[in-house]
Amino acid sequence: MWVTNLKIAGIVLGTLLVYTVICNKIPQLESSVPQKLALGANATPDELVAAGEQLYNGIGNCTSCHGLGVRAPNLLTDEKGAGLIGQRCGKREAGKTCKEYLYERLDQPGKVLLPGYQPIMPVITKQLPPNQVWSLIAFLESQGGTVDVTGADIEASEKAAGATGGGAAPASAGFASGSTQPKAIIDAAGCTTCHTIDGAGGAMAPDLTHVGSRRDAASIRRKILDPSSSIAKGYESFAGVMPKDFGTKMNAAQLESLVQYLAGHK
Amino acid sequence: MTHNLLLALQAAADTTSGYREFPLIGERAAVWIAAQVHLMFAAFVLGVPMFAVVAEAIGIFGGEAKYDRLAKEFTRLLLVAYSATAIWGAILVFLLATCYSKFWAYLTAVFAPSMWLYASLFFFESFTLYLYYYGWDRWHEGRAKKVHWMLGILLNVWGTTVMFIANSWLAYMTSPPRDVTPTTDPTKIKLWHATVTAIWMPINIHRLIANVVFGGAIVGAYASYRFLAAKTDEERAHYDWMGYIGNLIAISALIVLPFAGYWLGREIYEYDQSQGITMMGGFMAWLWVIQAFLIAVLFLAGNYYLWIGMGRIPGTERFRPYIKYLLIVILLGAIVWGTPHTMIADAKELAAMGGAHHPVLGALGVMSAKNTAVNFMILTTFLSFLLYRRGNKELVVPWAKTGTLLQGALFAVAAAVVLFFGIRGYFVETIVRIGFSVYQVLTVLGCILSVTVIDVLLSRGARSVGEIQWGKMPARSQYALFILAVTFTWLMGLMGFARAGIRQYWHVWEVMENTSPYAATPALGYASRLISVCVLIFLSLVGFVFWLGGLAEKSTFVPSDAKGGKHVGH
Repeated sequence: MWVTNLKIAGIVLGTLLVYTVICNKIPQLESSVPQKLALGANATPDELVAAGEQLYNGIGNCTSCHGLGVRAPNLLTDEKGAGLIGQRCGKREAGKTCKEYLYERLDQPGKVLLPGYQPIMPVITKQLPPNQVWSLIAFLESQGGTVDVTGADIEASEKAAGATGGGAAPASAGFASGSTQPKAIIDAAGCTTCHTIDGAGGAMAPDLTHVGSRRDAASIRRKILDPSSSIAKGYESFAGVMPKDFGTKMNAAQLESLVQYLAGHK
Repeated sequence: MTHNLLLALQAAADTTSGYREFPLIGERAAVWIAAQVHLMFAAFVLGVPMFAVVAEAIGIFGGEAKYDRLAKEFTRLLLVAYSATAIWGAILVFLLATCYSKFWAYLTAVFAPSMWLYASLFFFESFTLYLYYYGWDRWHEGRAKKVHWMLGILLNVWGTTVMFIANSWLAYMTSPPRDVTPTTDPTKIKLWHATVTAIWMPINIHRLIANVVFGGAIVGAYASYRFLAAKTDEERAHYDWMGYIGNLIAISALIVLPFAGYWLGREIYEYDQSQGITMMGGFMAWLWVIQAFLIAVLFLAGNYYLWIGMGRIPGTERFRPYIKYLLIVILLGAIVWGTPHTMIADAKELAAMGGAHHPVLGALGVMSAKNTAVNFMILTTFLSFLLYRRGNKELVVPWAKTGTLLQGALFAVAAAVVLFFGIRGYFVETIVRIGFSVYQVLTVLGCILSVTVIDVLLSRGARSVGEIQWGKMPARSQYALFILAVTFTWLMGLMGFARAGIRQYWHVWEVMENTSPYAATPALGYASRLISVCVLIFLSLVGFVFWLGGLAEKSTFVPSDAKGGKHVGH
């Protein structure tokens, strides 16, 4: 019986060993915790690139789409002979430097849609503070190109954000600089990245031009505060994309202003 | 006053200084091991009563006494595993309370009433189990036997309710209601609101089926050990049969498990797409390649056991030439299913591959090919089982030939439908392609169901070519059952990592952040080492308690020539 016991132990341990070894041989990807960046006007290009690489592969969640080359273009590989993103970014749009082009893609991703892809990219400048946005750009430039992002870019963006009350503005400025103008709130919230309003905007979420004829004010309010409360038919695959924190970002006056504005879009 | 209240509310989700380091392995690994081993024992003690009750019912209503003995033996395994479940549950609670004190305080603030209910039901479950087992011989006839069987059903009701309650806690951690924020006072969240969350019911159903799979596999391993240790032909025959039943239960339930998994995945996506992307296309993408490999092992080991088992059935010689083709289909299916596609790769890897995926083989890594492959594997496994079942039967019904042809035609139609949607999937949009998988699955299930019904009708009054020679199995077949048990257990650990890992650095998704030194979700390599440790602990303990059970049994073993026919056990 001892021989049988040893054989059984051997099979159990051998099976466990095979599974463990295979799992340790494949690429090891860890999901890290977002780190606060302390990059300012004195940041060097190397520091920016290193921070950008961490963001790109980590909390920026860029690889979930760009790392695959299926949902979005792969930025780290050659694309139809145009080279890596650092090589091709300066040739994408006439008159735009690589840095300008990349910033625009992060700030207004729905502006130009590459053929074959859906408008699913969120507005990164509203999700990340300026130092992280510029770190990302520095990292992308480093992929076959020359890094010309400097600490001065961060400083300029921080000042601009502070002045306009954009998403990258310091928290003390308040959402949309405290404005109750519906269009300022819509801009600050980035609604048109996914929704179309009055003919302009994305196609990833329902067109809001006539939303008032489909939903009353209470329904619109509920949808803004709890986006998963109802999912429009045909947009099921995008469920969960709409931010859930508008209720905590906007003040009551802003929320009501936006709700009444949309409810009036019959 | 208002200021103090606000501070108190903000503190609800504040985990700063809410951790205590566990010596040597750290608090994360300690809780991980305790939770996983507890879940393994729990899955076993919840899964086994389900088929114990079914086996007892076959014994009562079908008049086959051997099924009643089998049900009792299942329950004996349950008895010894039950206390281990409770011990590991207590270890888990103590570790959470001491190492994750603020998180534990938060959970208890939300779920205190359901935790009290859980403890009460656990009490009822224990005593129902004791009554069920110890009353077996006393209430063995007539109405008393039926009352005894009802006790078994009651045991399942308690067990399932207990599991549903515990599931609500972990479902809340992944998909808390959207109106719960970091500043929500946990004591103000209504219990039912916190219980019925987006993924609660899919998890309940998925675990219910998975417990049956797991229980069947562990029973199979137990039987194979007893088979190898058997001293008499009679014992060997009994445990050979028991191992076959265990394998049949595990593989049958495994076939429907992916549908529950699909529902769970869909609910995760609907709740929060970023969780879905993390799970399927993010840092966990490789996990699904490993899962495909493990399931391929399960299919291969399960089929291998059936094919060897044909050796003990007179009349199966006629089917043996086809086995090599079945093997080829399963191997090809496994290769396609395991083909990586949408994997996150670094620049060097992408350059070496020439793109985001392999230029030729990449086409086999997409959903259309994978769904087709796995459906073919399921159909092939079902065909193996059908050949096994038909082995020693000579059909006598007048429509035997037509019926067999009809069965063949159903297989052919199912294969054609699966293949058609598999190919068509390459030419349509993603959302349409996802819908195709439902058609493929329904076709395969429809085929399995209708072919089984025809087979039962065909077998009416069938002549036996010869009795199944239970016990006449080579030892290697029993080792296949061990591989099945180890793989099922390991797979359970892996899927547990996937479910918990999608929360990443959140104790409660977007409500309570994990700020401990172990907040990062580890890579698969580290996870695999911990899973292996958990499986080893579980199997060692389960081996020990089964050995203990065996010691007690030997003293009351009834020899085969005793009055009342064959009897193994007590």
